[in-house]
Amino acid sequence: MTTDTSMETSSSKGTALSLDTWALIVAFVLALAVRFDILKNVPW
Amino acid sequence: MASTSALSPVKSDNALLNALRLVPGVLLLAAIGYAGKFLERFLNTYAKAHHWMFPNIEYVLWAILIGLAIGNTVGVPKLFQAGIATYEFWLKLGIVLLGARFVLADVLKLGGISLALVVIEITLSLALMTLLGRMFKLKPKLISLLAIGSSICGVSAIIAAKGAIDADDEDSSFAIAAILALGALALFTFPAIAHALRMNDVSYGLWAGLGVDNTAEATAAGALYSDAAGKVAVLAKTARNAMIGFVVLAYAIYWAGRGQAEAVTDKAAFLWRKFPKFILGFLLMSSLVGFHVFSKAQIGSLGNLSKWAFLLTFAGVGLRTNFRDMSKQGLRPFVVGALGEVLIACLTLGLVVGANRIWGL
Repeated sequence: MTTDTSMETSSSKGTALSLDTWALIVAFVLALAVRFDILKNVPW
Repeated sequence: MASTSALSPVKSDNALLNALRLVPGVLLLAAIGYAGKFLERFLNTYAKAHHWMFPNIEYVLWAILIGLAIGNTVGVPKLFQAGIATYEFWLKLGIVLLGARFVLADVLKLGGISLALVVIEITLSLALMTLLGRMFKLKPKLISLLAIGSSICGVSAIIAAKGAIDADDEDSSFAIAAILALGALALFTFPAIAHALRMNDVSYGLWAGLGVDNTAEATAAGALYSDAAGKVAVLAKTARNAMIGFVVLAYAIYWAGRGQAEAVTDKAAFLWRKFPKFILGFLLMSSLVGFHVFSKAQIGSLGNLSKWAFLLTFAGVGLRTNFRDMSKQGLRPFVVGALGEVLIACLTLGLVVGANRIWGL
């Protein structure tokens, strides 16, 4: 755990991405999927 | 070179194992979230079919209640714990995606009002918690942690401050337990008070965002009132979170000045390190909507994805709230926290009512 606002998600401290970075990456990958209608037929 | 390539498969194996360890807990979060949605729909249909006068209990509350019931009765086996800890990831993901449901102009208007209220709230909360902590003779660093946790954003702020002011593990777990216990209480008291006062969605959302400490609980408290109130609560809470670096920096400088923490050499780097980056994602998503990157149907899909991410968060809020563990932390920090929170809740309610009169929320 770092003293930052976010936790590191891997034990390898030097290279691990923060939770914020993971959230940003996943959010924008999902946004791209929505933009190109890949998730069009998902029954929410 | 040879050693690096020899290590690579081990590293990727570890990453894969770490990812696999999350699966059971994430599935449990999803199952509880889905059960919450199912119960809401099922009970509504059943009550209508049998002409019952049954209050509409939102899926948010069901997900929290199921999580609370599991966490405080049978407990959560170790197998699920790593995945359940991802609830904070789902919260941040949900907030970034929620940016799509805001027009940037609204963000700027409401965010501006929120920021103005946040500055007043933080100043008064810090002063109030410090005063109460001194009255109850708590340890100075515990007072700092409680003040930071209750004025900005709960657990994240306490964790950020712990390293910066070099506080004890014991003090930070005291402060975290107090903030979490009070957050759990706020989930039930805030919506009830707002219903009694017949607050509108925007006013209530602002109040929940300003008055409830932890981001997950503030989001849940907002969503328990209405969808619109949930959106505003997230926005107000996000404005509050943005201030984390400034307050932690001020405390770090204070404790370094007393020779009880490391001096901060590069203040700009310190601020950037403590700044919650997911807020930038929220703003970027809102800007993309402003530039018509997404169609109306696509914005709806992003909103649904955000709701699903929050559903997993709410299940996690219930699961990780353990009343037995909290009771072990002692009464005094809890009493100080509770007194402070009640006063802060009244104060923020006054601020929101005042803002409503001035800006007509």
